[in-house]
Amino acid sequence: MPQNADNVLDHFNLFRQPEYLEMFEKKKKEFENHHPDAEVERVREWAKTKEYQEKNFAREALTVNPAKACQPLGAVFASLGFEQTIPFVHGSQGCVAYYRSHFSRHFKEPTSCVSSSMTEDAAVFGGLNNMIDGLANTYNMYKPKMISVSTTCMAEVIGDDLNAFIKTSKEKGSVPADYDVPFAHTPAFVGSHVTGYDNVMKGIVEHFWNGKAGTAPKLERVPNNSINFIGGFDGYVVGNIREVKRIFESMGVEYTILGDPSDVWDTPTDGEFRMYDGGTKLEDAANAIHAKATFSMQHFSTEKTLPLIAASGQETYSFHHPVGVRATDEFLMKVSEVTGKPISKELTRERGRLVDAIADSSAHLHGKRFAIYGDPDLCYGLAAFLMELGAEPITVLASNGGKLWEEQMKQLFASSPFGKNCTAYAGKDLWHLRSLLFTEPVDFLIGNTYGKYLERDTGTPLIRIGFPVFDRHHYHRYPVWGYQGGLNVLVWLLDKVFDEIDRNTNVVAKSDYSFDIIR
Amino acid sequence: MSLAQPESIEDLKARNKALIKEVLEVYPEKTAKRRAKHLGTFEDGKPDCGVKSNIKSIPGVMTIRGCAYAGSKGVVWGPIKDMIHISHGPVGCGQYSWASRRNYYIGVTGIDTFGTMQFTSDFQEKDIVFGGDKKLAKLIDEIQELFPLNKGISVQSECPIGLIGDDIEAVSKAKTKEYNGHTIVPVRCEGFRGVSQSLGHHLANDAIRDWVFDKMEGKPALFESTPYDVAIIGDYNIGGDAWSSRILLEEMGLRVVAQWSGDGTIAELEATPRAKLNVLHCYRSMNYISRHMEEKYGVPWVEYNFFGPSKIEESLRKIASHFDDKIKEGAERVIAKYRPLMDAVIAKYRPRLEGKKVMLFVGGLRPRHVIGAYEDLGMEIVGTGYEFGHNDDYQRTTHYVKDGTLIYDDVTGYEFEKFVEKIQPDLVGSGIKEKYVFQKMGVPFRQMHSWDYSGPYHGYDGFAIFARDMDMAINSPVWKFAKAPWAA
Amino acid sequence: MSELRQIAFYGKGGIGKSTTSQNTLAALAQQGKKILIVGCDPKADSTRLILHAKAQDTILSLAAEAGSVEDLELEDVMKVGFEDIRCVESGGPEPGVGCAGRGVITSINFLEEQGAYDGVDYVSYDVLGDVVCGGFAMPIRENKAQEIYIVMSGEMMAMYAGNNISKGILKYANSGGVRLGGLVCNERQTDKEYELAESLAKKLGTQLIYFVPRDNIVQHAELRRMTVIEYAPDSVQAGHYRSLAEKVHANKGNGIIPTPITMDELEDLLMEHGVMKAVDESQVGKTAADLAAIA
Repeated sequence: MPQNADNVLDHFNLFRQPEYLEMFEKKKKEFENHHPDAEVERVREWAKTKEYQEKNFAREALTVNPAKACQPLGAVFASLGFEQTIPFVHGSQGCVAYYRSHFSRHFKEPTSCVSSSMTEDAAVFGGLNNMIDGLANTYNMYKPKMISVSTTCMAEVIGDDLNAFIKTSKEKGSVPADYDVPFAHTPAFVGSHVTGYDNVMKGIVEHFWNGKAGTAPKLERVPNNSINFIGGFDGYVVGNIREVKRIFESMGVEYTILGDPSDVWDTPTDGEFRMYDGGTKLEDAANAIHAKATFSMQHFSTEKTLPLIAASGQETYSFHHPVGVRATDEFLMKVSEVTGKPISKELTRERGRLVDAIADSSAHLHGKRFAIYGDPDLCYGLAAFLMELGAEPITVLASNGGKLWEEQMKQLFASSPFGKNCTAYAGKDLWHLRSLLFTEPVDFLIGNTYGKYLERDTGTPLIRIGFPVFDRHHYHRYPVWGYQGGLNVLVWLLDKVFDEIDRNTNVVAKSDYSFDIIR
Repeated sequence: MSLAQPESIEDLKARNKALIKEVLEVYPEKTAKRRAKHLGTFEDGKPDCGVKSNIKSIPGVMTIRGCAYAGSKGVVWGPIKDMIHISHGPVGCGQYSWASRRNYYIGVTGIDTFGTMQFTSDFQEKDIVFGGDKKLAKLIDEIQELFPLNKGISVQSECPIGLIGDDIEAVSKAKTKEYNGHTIVPVRCEGFRGVSQSLGHHLANDAIRDWVFDKMEGKPALFESTPYDVAIIGDYNIGGDAWSSRILLEEMGLRVVAQWSGDGTIAELEATPRAKLNVLHCYRSMNYISRHMEEKYGVPWVEYNFFGPSKIEESLRKIASHFDDKIKEGAERVIAKYRPLMDAVIAKYRPRLEGKKVMLFVGGLRPRHVIGAYEDLGMEIVGTGYEFGHNDDYQRTTHYVKDGTLIYDDVTGYEFEKFVEKIQPDLVGSGIKEKYVFQKMGVPFRQMHSWDYSGPYHGYDGFAIFARDMDMAINSPVWKFAKAPWAA
Repeated sequence: MSELRQIAFYGKGGIGKSTTSQNTLAALAQQGKKILIVGCDPKADSTRLILHAKAQDTILSLAAEAGSVEDLELEDVMKVGFEDIRCVESGGPEPGVGCAGRGVITSINFLEEQGAYDGVDYVSYDVLGDVVCGGFAMPIRENKAQEIYIVMSGEMMAMYAGNNISKGILKYANSGGVRLGGLVCNERQTDKEYELAESLAKKLGTQLIYFVPRDNIVQHAELRRMTVIEYAPDSVQAGHYRSLAEKVHANKGNGIIPTPITMDELEDLLMEHGVMKAVDESQVGKTAADLAAIA
């Protein structure tokens, strides 16, 4: 009997006991009608070849293990960045269960979001009644300050008109006429989660600045000296936003964070459940129109939002998820230039410390070959940092990257000798990457949790940076932006590098000599 | 503030009634009326739990439910490991359900096994406007080329498929023919169908009937039947549940010819009509196909419950009663063999858990099935409810719950939070969306869908883990720190 | 630049909607108006008479080739025809597959984002048949067409469709700015057609903008893939279309929120004008054989 009360065996030990191993063998042999082991082995080897890669890259219809999610997920992310706001997703309810689970698995936090629960009848007759009832229920039950509406693919296919539906709901008394219900159409079959973030952010800005869908006068911009900051869809949002605030405060910059879920996704365990916490105040979102400029940390999360903001007369600047020394320099210098505030001594020292840390450790990263996958801006930021460390981002892949991104990556590679052998793959998935890792091996892989399958199959050690990270805890609490963030990323890279050296040198009487105590 | 703990059953029922009334006050009138039907208190002697179920969720209330796609792809089909399951439509559904259900299996993933992979047609706007059938046909060709060892393909419809009128059945038939009878199963499990995951289970069951059973006639049997062949139905092998169940059935002398569908294969599905008995764990998700096999193939089925030693003993005997003395003796032997382990587990954990109150809200079978396991540890269920149960589930629940238990069907986020706040249980068992809400409140919590990444919980081996996990949750030192010592 | 006017033509299939709209717009163009026609019919024949060619590259077919609409440029889809009228066709799937309604949404979003409406006096949407789903209602959403012109005739089904379209407009009129501009009756030479059209207009709370008489010259022009305005500018029929165009132009801001009627009211209307014969209630649901037996 394998189990015992004194030392309870978990699944990972229980199922390695002989009773179970024998049972598995028997099940496979007698009932599974499995392929001969030699055949499985043959196909396994074939799937590592260049020939397989060619067939794999010839795929036109099939997507396998993509590194992207759908628009509505980003829509919920963006909505949660505002004070006491509930994301309201118009369409099928199962989608909302998925978004909530997905975020909770990453942040280890509750994620509040409602659905209009459209079913078959709404598919035929349209979802107006679901909107009318849904807004009334949400408003009464959860007492939000704002309900931010987006859509699932179901509502988009049948062509429900959010603007008209919300107006009608207000006429029917679901919520008061002057209540804030910004909206955005976020079809799941266009773009990815970063597109959804962009659409909702644009919808909210438009709502507050351009007359709340005709229910209020348009705001008149009276320029001041503050700046707006938009982070984009970001798995490190909790750590990052706090770090950015610290940076701005250190410089004495007046700022508004547009979209700040860093508190609602990091509430304390103290006996009280906070459905709402922090977030951009609604009046701040409205007053953001007066800012001198808006900074977007992720270009592809704000492709539509920034032009709208620019149309108000503001300057706009976008970055590619800056990580490391130079990218942070550029960000801070631009902030300084626009606001006229000098970069603080404190930050300058932090910069020096990051450079110091790189100088201490770069020998272990120099010349190392990396594959990176993730959202387009994150990929760019990480690739740039790696080149700064003397490492080579050989393969960079974004399932939700487009032609523009691919072009920008090429330019980035061309800017450094460490980018010479590097290639960007837009619109490809992790099964493409699997082929590449076999035919063009690298030393390390950077990606989200799903990369663990690639690590297992190809033996490429995975450094978890991205979204989602389900199987490691609390990384989202650390910033990756600013010099402090760069330091965090550097440490994560180095930890894996050293762990790998140790793992490869720990055989007694064989590799004792490299199993060093000092590195 | 929590209410005073009730002293008598009458007090308890009165408290529940007041609590329900209070909770309903937040709703607009129409919604309050509708929700009132889903909330109640179990009265001893009644045939069900006095609540309505399997009705549309109300818009905007934050239901915990999922959709038909989740029921079909996520629950029934997804775990069948040697098939490729296409999430047909936009990318999201497949992404959010990718490998998250912990249906354990053994195999060479990506080569002969495909469980923890996400295959999708990643619909783009042009596929919506022009229809996706051509893409699906090409996609199946690509699967056949790149994953030649797959034993079958299922097409799991997402919302747009039904809305734009794609004919996935026609594509599946044509491709089955083209690939010499290769199993290709279209499933119409669009998320807007039905009211919850439940319809997805039903549609998935029907698809097995129509596209697996009805198409396998004439295929040769892969093994000789014995009088002791059984199939495990409705066990998704979460954390290895089906394995810690299978080992007991085999130890008592039965031969398990199939697992539905955790660690299952298409060959096992096809073999099942030749079983002597189907043993059904999750009634909700697989009663349909069990009934069908009984009607068409004459395979009887029996429900069982492998949570906690009391129910396991009862179930082993119940299953054995369908067989000869050899098996009946086998059951007794197994019970006797594990009794010392169970005694030790209970001796270790019961003193730490005795009298602790639990509130549950789960799907499938668990809102009732796990009650016995808690009671084996001296714990008490004070409230329970189903995410997507039907009235037959609530009828079955009457055998498990005590007089005065609070019942909440398709509970909303608001209701659940209020109920827990007022009743102050020692443990809440529910899902990932609920976990952190209650932990923030300082209430110990275990995920009862995924076993909180632990498990198995089924069988004797599983019960030891279950007991340890409940102790770990309730008696973790962390809950003592929730209030800062200087806070009032 | 004068303020952009957005109008839309709706009507039952086969009613001569595209012919009427193209002739009207051709006449407006001759008066110096800058015009953009947005064809919202999967058949893509809303601009055929202006371009002298059918099935130009549609937005959706090109987008499908390129991957997505984001990969398209406005120049790829916009063609210029008679009197510099700019033409785009949304296009869409073959009958029986996909979702044409979604196609309309995609196309109009694309055109707006690409600035297709810049420098235009008139945008005209030509919409297939009825407001059957959310997609086909796209042109009547807020900030889209301000006035809808329903092309109809004295036939019962055309009137039925006209009434239905009014229901669609009503749905959006409260939340947005869309109004019913009026009815355009294409003569079919049915009984008391003019009176009937007038009565329906009245019931709907609108006006009969124009009664276009039937003339074979329309067919002659169509065979040559031309509007009458271009084919025979001096013809009487061309004069009618010019008058219609003037009426439409002068109708700015005169749109109303329609008051659609019930099916019973519609039948009463037809009976009133003798188009439909009153039937004895006791005969409803009886077969010919039943009736013969009673007689």
